[in-house]
Amino acid sequence: MNRALSWLLSGRRPLASHLLLAPASLWLICFLVIPAAGLIVTSFAKNGPYGVVIWEFGFQNYARAFDPKYLPVLFRTLGFAGATTALCLILGYPLAYFLTFYAGRWRNALLVGLMVPFWSSCLVAYYSWMIVLGKEGLINATLMRLGVLSEPIGFLYTPFAILLGLVYFYLPFTVLPLYASLDKVPRSVIEAAYDLGAGRWTAFWKVTLPLSLPGVVAGCVLTFIPCLGDFLTVEILGGPRYYLLGNLISNQFMMAQDWPFGSALTALLLAGLVGGLWLYQRWEKA
Amino acid sequence: MAEPISRRSFLKAAILAPLIPSLLAACKRADDQKVVNFFNWSNYIGKDTLPEFTKRTGVEVRYDLFADEDEMFTKLRAGARGYDLIVVGDYHIPRFRSLNLIEPIPAESLKNLGNLSPRFRRPGYDPEETTVPYLWGTTGIAYNKRKIKKAPTSWWDLWDPQYKDRVSMLDNVRDCISVAMQLLKIPQTTRDPEDFKKIRELLVKQKPLVKQYSSASYLNSLVAGEIDLAMTWSGDLFQTARENPDLDYVIPKEGTYMWVDCLAMMRGARHRADTLRLIDYLLEPSVAAGIANSVRYATPNQAAQPEVDLVLRKDPRVYPTPALMKQLQLHHVLDSEQSELWSQTWADVKVA
Repeated sequence: MNRALSWLLSGRRPLASHLLLAPASLWLICFLVIPAAGLIVTSFAKNGPYGVVIWEFGFQNYARAFDPKYLPVLFRTLGFAGATTALCLILGYPLAYFLTFYAGRWRNALLVGLMVPFWSSCLVAYYSWMIVLGKEGLINATLMRLGVLSEPIGFLYTPFAILLGLVYFYLPFTVLPLYASLDKVPRSVIEAAYDLGAGRWTAFWKVTLPLSLPGVVAGCVLTFIPCLGDFLTVEILGGPRYYLLGNLISNQFMMAQDWPFGSALTALLLAGLVGGLWLYQRWEKA
Repeated sequence: MAEPISRRSFLKAAILAPLIPSLLAACKRADDQKVVNFFNWSNYIGKDTLPEFTKRTGVEVRYDLFADEDEMFTKLRAGARGYDLIVVGDYHIPRFRSLNLIEPIPAESLKNLGNLSPRFRRPGYDPEETTVPYLWGTTGIAYNKRKIKKAPTSWWDLWDPQYKDRVSMLDNVRDCISVAMQLLKIPQTTRDPEDFKKIRELLVKQKPLVKQYSSASYLNSLVAGEIDLAMTWSGDLFQTARENPDLDYVIPKEGTYMWVDCLAMMRGARHRADTLRLIDYLLEPSVAAGIANSVRYATPNQAAQPEVDLVLRKDPRVYPTPALMKQLQLHHVLDSEQSELWSQTWADVKVA
């Protein structure tokens, strides 16, 4: 099968290779290109009475998006996304390392375990966290019964709860690419480092870590980007003072009924992400 | 032993498979006449209301729920088809009508319309009676008697710094801005940007005290002790108080708003006759009383009054005294330009 594929894709049979790519291209066109095009067209439209979209085009929505009142929201979002990525990396790297080198026959079971939270909607997960973190929740009740606390701590609706939710949900996005790239590091290279007199720390620092860097970058990108658009976490676990970009956008579509402006904000977010990835690729090649 | 799948049988299956959904759809269409698709607030109907209707008429009610009216509006606006009957707040009716989402309910086909109290006939928000009042209630303050020693009396109590991080506000443009207007003595008819600036400042000033802007989950927070003071809709609190008897409801001394949730027929509803039957059924005195007893909102159905639980009927928090009734006002019907000013102001409060 693999050999047939590589033969088909080798360029000798352009028609066949196009056919093979057709499902993927079709999928991309239907679910990415068309909706994104619709979004961009809407972003130039005008918002009419009661949120009717009026198809008169201009840049007014983009001009509004650069109002300085949205700057704190942008910085807050970057802060939360950055902190989540950093925490995921700090927690995820040792985890991926353990999975790769020490988990042995438990490896597959643990990998499945890592994915288990994904089997339910994050909504369910967040509501469970509310039960755990609440003033009359598991943690507070236990600590108060043990006499550690006299007054319950308000964990919910704080930056702590938001970060916890984000890290909890996005951790697998960091761990899986890390695991994939650590798994690809040839053991022989690490052994060679030992043979040449490197200690464990030096071997890790000079061999394993540099070889796993593609996984680190992929994991960070895969965590950081969806975090930028997250709005559910704040909606459920966060309070009104931690309004993020995702909330701002979802509010335009729901409460304010201003789809053109919401589209413009989304388009800007997309442009920022695509631009960032493009710069990163250029930097990587250079 | 299972027979291995031959190529031919696989091909046959592959050709037939796409037909299955259309076959299923065809079966569905056959019984379509006996169905009403009803889109309502969550916790907003009696437990037996709909099964009883189905038992009596053989018409199945497909019941769908929403917890946020903006979300519901967005869903319908984005083209969700298939609903026949929806529940809309009085002040939202212009918005639904101007987007052509609803069509008038022909009053002459309803036998039971006369059961409604005269106060709810030909109301200001819908003088031609194109919708049918379902339940009504007030917006007020919920508080936990055990945690808040001095019962709140005024909307200003929601601005009191001693309750920092224990307050929640409804995540609803109309309620929050109306209250700010009431406190600032600004009439709802205003279009003056200066007025809206003052409103925004007042709500932003309150923000550091607010733990949640929420229209549904704050009820859990009240029960769980996350918050102790909340802007609430009357019946929602009475339902919640069944779980936590420490919760009480106050209509602030400044007065408040009342709203009427109305049954409205979706434009192009496919099951018109059965939808009208359902509306007429919901207007029956015993049915309306059953709903009111279960959801603890006030019913606009006068004929239902004798069957409403005495406790509820005598409770001035549910059915305010005539003197208090005079202090209650309906939300002003906004035109699209005002509506824009309101939602812009609210959006700015959220961002601030």
